[in-house]
Amino acid sequence: MKESLLDVLCCPLDKHDLELEDAVGDDDVESGTLVCTECGERYPIEDGIPNLLPPDMREETPA
Amino acid sequence: MGILENKARARFFYKYLSRVYDRVNPFIWNEEMRTEALDLLDFDDEPRVLDVGCGTGFGTEGLLEHVDRVVALDQSPHQLQQAYGKFGKRGPVDFHLGDAERLPFASNTFDIVWSSGSIEYWPQPVRTLREIRRVLVPGGQVLVVGPNYPDHTITQKLADAIMLFYDEADADRMFTKAGFEDVEHVLMGPSYDPEVAITTVGRAPE
Repeated sequence: MKESLLDVLCCPLDKHDLELEDAVGDDDVESGTLVCTECGERYPIEDGIPNLLPPDMREETPA
Repeated sequence: MGILENKARARFFYKYLSRVYDRVNPFIWNEEMRTEALDLLDFDDEPRVLDVGCGTGFGTEGLLEHVDRVVALDQSPHQLQQAYGKFGKRGPVDFHLGDAERLPFASNTFDIVWSSGSIEYWPQPVRTLREIRRVLVPGGQVLVVGPNYPDHTITQKLADAIMLFYDEADADRMFTKAGFEDVEHVLMGPSYDPEVAITTVGRAPE
């Protein structure tokens, strides 16, 4: 995920800004977590792809 | 409500269908139809483009003939896997896992929102179209390709049972209700079934 895209992303639930935590990678974020500044919902970035599915639509991921 | 309008079922369905999707898909939605649809859009001044429900990336591929980068979203990791194979995860497409009905993008972000072969799985099409209008800049263009409602009764029964199909009047109602202006429709299809798909374009109000 391009770090610059953070400006246009928002929480799918309440549309508030997201903050990037635990980022690995600079301009290209390889992994990390996008956290809603309002509701605190957390969205993982895995292998460069942000998973912004609302929690009720996420597949169970094997441990 | 059709079987695939339930999102969980759609995800399950695509988990298996994604393996053959690009082989099945050209029967109803081919490159000529894609070109005809792309011609309805204005690509001047390097527009920022979003592909909603990009799936395996067939529409995305067409968009990339007109712009250098595309932002793409799909709910199915299995469909996206096919798209990664075509464009890579770090290529010209910014991929996102997400829900069309609850877009993870800020308001007034995109100049063009494209969606082909996705609307038939939206449980609440008007609500999703409103989401698309929200992320479009004022005057921005939307283009949606979906299945045209079939003429024959038997096919209609099948259509009603499986997914959302709609005709021009339905599309007019949905897009107007979602707040779009200058709404127009073009019926498209291969020569043996020239009206199998309906493409609708509209603009977000200025």
